[in-house]
Amino acid sequence: MKVTYNWLKEYVDFDWSVEELAERITMLGVEVEGIVEAGGAFEGVVVGEVITRDQHPNADKLSLCKVNDGSQELQIVCGAANFQVGDKVALATVGTNMPVEEGEKPFVIKEGKIRGETSQGMMCSGSELKLNEDHDGILILPKDATVGQSFGEHMGCSEKDAVFDLEVTPNRPDLNGVIGLAREIAALIGNELKMPLADLSETGPKVSESVAVEIRDVDLCPRYNARVIRGINVGPSPAWLSSRLEQVGIRPINNVVDATNYVMMETGQPLHAFDFNLLSEVKGKRTVVVRRASAGEKFTTLDEQKHELSNDNLLIADCEKGIALAGVMGGLNTEIQNDTQDVLLETAYFNPQNIRATSKGLGLHTDASYRFERGADIGCVDWVSRRAAKLILEVAGGELLAGDVDEFPAQPETREITLRHSRTDALLGIVIEPAKAVDYLQGLDLEMLSQDEGSATFRIPTWRVDLKREVDLIEEVCRVHGVDQIPATSPRGCIGENDFDAQHDSLGQVRDVLTGLGIDEAQGQTLISDESAALISGDLARLEYPLASDMNVLRPSLLPGLLDSLRNNLTRQNRNVKLFEVGRIFAAGPVETRSVALLLTGALNAAFWQGEDTKVDVSDLKGVIEELLESLGVYGVEFVRREEVGSLFLESAELRMGKQTIGQMGQLLPVLGKRYEAREAVYLAEINLDTLLQRRTTNKSFKSLPQFPASERDVAMIVDESVTHSDVLGIIKNIKPANLVETQLFDVFRGKNVSEGQKSLAYSFTYRSAEKTLKDKEVNSAHDQLISALKEQLPATIRDT
Amino acid sequence: MSLLDEIDPLKAEALVEFNAATNQSSLDRAKGAWLGPQGRFTGLMKQMGALSKEDRPLAGQAINAAKTEIEKALQEARERIELATAAPREPSDFTAPGRRPSLGRLHPLTQVTEDIVKSFRKLGFVVADGPEIEDEYHCFDALNTPADHPARDAQDTFYVASDGRPLLRTHTSSVQIRVMKEQKPPVRIIVPGRVYRRDTADATHNPTFHQVEGLYVDRDVTVADLKGTVEFVFRELMGSKTKIRFRPHYFSYTEPSFEIDFANSLTRKMGKDWLEIAGCGMVHPAVLEEVGLDPEEWSGWAFGFGIERIAMLRYGINDIRLFYENDTRFLHQF
Repeated sequence: MKVTYNWLKEYVDFDWSVEELAERITMLGVEVEGIVEAGGAFEGVVVGEVITRDQHPNADKLSLCKVNDGSQELQIVCGAANFQVGDKVALATVGTNMPVEEGEKPFVIKEGKIRGETSQGMMCSGSELKLNEDHDGILILPKDATVGQSFGEHMGCSEKDAVFDLEVTPNRPDLNGVIGLAREIAALIGNELKMPLADLSETGPKVSESVAVEIRDVDLCPRYNARVIRGINVGPSPAWLSSRLEQVGIRPINNVVDATNYVMMETGQPLHAFDFNLLSEVKGKRTVVVRRASAGEKFTTLDEQKHELSNDNLLIADCEKGIALAGVMGGLNTEIQNDTQDVLLETAYFNPQNIRATSKGLGLHTDASYRFERGADIGCVDWVSRRAAKLILEVAGGELLAGDVDEFPAQPETREITLRHSRTDALLGIVIEPAKAVDYLQGLDLEMLSQDEGSATFRIPTWRVDLKREVDLIEEVCRVHGVDQIPATSPRGCIGENDFDAQHDSLGQVRDVLTGLGIDEAQGQTLISDESAALISGDLARLEYPLASDMNVLRPSLLPGLLDSLRNNLTRQNRNVKLFEVGRIFAAGPVETRSVALLLTGALNAAFWQGEDTKVDVSDLKGVIEELLESLGVYGVEFVRREEVGSLFLESAELRMGKQTIGQMGQLLPVLGKRYEAREAVYLAEINLDTLLQRRTTNKSFKSLPQFPASERDVAMIVDESVTHSDVLGIIKNIKPANLVETQLFDVFRGKNVSEGQKSLAYSFTYRSAEKTLKDKEVNSAHDQLISALKEQLPATIRDT
Repeated sequence: MSLLDEIDPLKAEALVEFNAATNQSSLDRAKGAWLGPQGRFTGLMKQMGALSKEDRPLAGQAINAAKTEIEKALQEARERIELATAAPREPSDFTAPGRRPSLGRLHPLTQVTEDIVKSFRKLGFVVADGPEIEDEYHCFDALNTPADHPARDAQDTFYVASDGRPLLRTHTSSVQIRVMKEQKPPVRIIVPGRVYRRDTADATHNPTFHQVEGLYVDRDVTVADLKGTVEFVFRELMGSKTKIRFRPHYFSYTEPSFEIDFANSLTRKMGKDWLEIAGCGMVHPAVLEEVGLDPEEWSGWAFGFGIERIAMLRYGINDIRLFYENDTRFLHQF
């Protein structure tokens, strides 16, 4: 919504500068998003009249004059010779900033003495005003120029003004008109709101003799007012009208349409003018029918767009055809044209939801639909119609038929709201004098119906669709009083409680552990493409109307996002990438789960001048996972190798806790890696974080440090490739060798002295008792038992050491 | 030549040899040559038996003194050689960069979120959370946002294709409803989380972004309280010299509603007097009634803001998409 400084000033007196006004209305809740200064050429220059002209006492070529500037006589010293008493001249008063060419120094008119005589301004030549090259004499204006008028106005330039671009919140449709804003300012400073005149001279016969209005759907149109003006002259609007519309962003069309647009900008109420003679006539009457369109009904709007309507669209029609898409746009068939003689003026109220649906459905958004869908003022319809008729008569001439046809079958309920002063104080946290609160609300044109010690009751004007209950009045008091007048009090209150609070810290702990292990945190898009999602799962939660095909499903995993981030890095030559994400993933249902995912590729450590370039491998990934699990206190996770190559992994394992699969890890298929620009092995893992956090144990208890020495026994054995570390641990778990406290795998070897299809595993077993120093004999007996079990059950061949 | 006369020259010769040893093996050889079973000094000691009873004590004394001296020289040579062996072959350049185990970085959005959470926790707030896939009731209806409200346009909201038209929450305010329905007041929560709007990605928009919402419901909660808390949190976040301004505004679930502007050296640098940063207001009585609270007894305030916006302002980031690209050079700046 655009409005100008001068326009506002027509309805309310204030002496704020442009900047102050912007600040004030912003603080009232209408944010000024931009200010553009406009017009104002020749500011300070006025039409003057030469009263006397005498010889300057001290200079032959100068004259000493008295010049009337419209309010007083000024003494001016002038060097020109081409003028005489009674001439109208362009007088630059003290303080005028004379126009200068680019690069010239600013030239400000000052009061000064010229050869001993005071000069209070300057009579200007055409060149001094940059109007022409004439600098031989001053500019002599026509005899009928008005003394005191600003020279800019005399020349037909618009006066200085400022156009404000305002953000009007959707709850305040009344602020989509200049008067609405002026009312706010009036309330703020306590000045009167000066409503424009809407008095009419109705000279024609009664409208009702030639026009009828028939509302067939009262829900969608509770009020419709028609007036008729005959014998108008359609033509261009006067300059003041067209230039003002242009300032607020509306293209001037012709005087009739411009007048309706002007009144819309002034009042916030849209209007429409039809060519009266293009409405069908039945028995000497033109009937305006407000009805729903029939399904499939064709209609062409003013912008020459053809629409196929449905039963949900409200149409203004005559007895034969549609003539306007109600509240949105007029029809091409009854548009005001250059030869239009008679005008039917529509002022109506339409159901906001319906206008909104039509406007959205047809993709037709207009200044009118914008206002109707937010809620116009049903109470002001007649007044606005009169105001517009007056303006049309003023700019296009013609004769107004007497009266109007005002169909108003559904009177709106009048709302009354009681404000308790104690509630105001309780909610705002300050004490506001009851009299002050009442003043504020009356200033906004709320009529007080009654009051007692503790409260006051108001009737809500029809334009304030936002005021529905007491708290809304409290907000009005707060706005006019000024929220900056409410002191900030120190935070007070209770200790909050919520079950999630501890979980928030657990999520933080996961992030801290992983960053501590040298992995960077990523944040991926929640919305991803079908194709990326299909890498992980077919069980997808989909968007109903996606914005784009590459953002049409909710991520079923964090891995596609990490892979996208991998590509972003690799294409920018960041070759060593370690990322994790903690976030939510989704599946059909829809259901959501928290997840943590990891991606590692490239060098294990940052580049170093000694040139170590160990690459990450699957054990690095496993190590990170083990460290994370241990720090969270999650035990008993098994890593179960998948024998088949999957759609995502070249080699992978499932993470299981008992029968539950809680995650997976592995190496990305190289062919997929290439799709993400990866030339080196990429390792991925993802774990269900909800499960991890459920299964964590945070209890910690102290165990005494060992007091007796340990004995170590190293064993190297040859086993089949298929034998795993977990098989070894399984056997140990089964036979439970006495005093065995630690089993450590310290070497896996293939090659020399180990046949194809086999490998050598080297373990270090630590034996220790908590009660005594073990004797060799005791250790050996347990160890021999272990060795023979490994030999038989794996089976294994023990290597000589 | 008597035995006694042989001691000193022999000792001198041994000392020279030990002192000359430059490594462990030459030292070992010298040790063998002098002190080993066949060593020359050991030989000298063996000759002691041949001496007369009278001469023996004197010679014994002299030999022992010499032996101590030789062993001391041996020990010194050993230490000298050990030190020389332990020392790096080349001197270290202490100015060269170290071998750094690099620490991973928290995402800047996480860092900002945690800072916000920390300031709120100082005031007794706790973190709460709710689902990202919401329903119309929690996201709109219960928040006094009627069906024909612009915010409910399909243009702004992502709907999930499923029964009951679930949607991706457009704000964290949906959690207000869930918490107030479950918990009797007083309620004092902060809700950081992901939210979604149908915006095409550009420098200032991403369909996914993050918000933080604060909610306090209690007896006698006022606008003055709201101002006090907001000022505290934003001064913590944006610096103690930050100025805060409240400007009346409209949100359907608060009344009165305000937008919050701030001003500090950052806004001055950007050539602006004020910069909008958050929205807030007193919880609308219709919302309290919806969750079964009597607005005559309870009042509250809520405020919310975008985490990306704060992070962009704080770090001078000019494109929101950078947050979601996860370029490690970007991540390592924070």
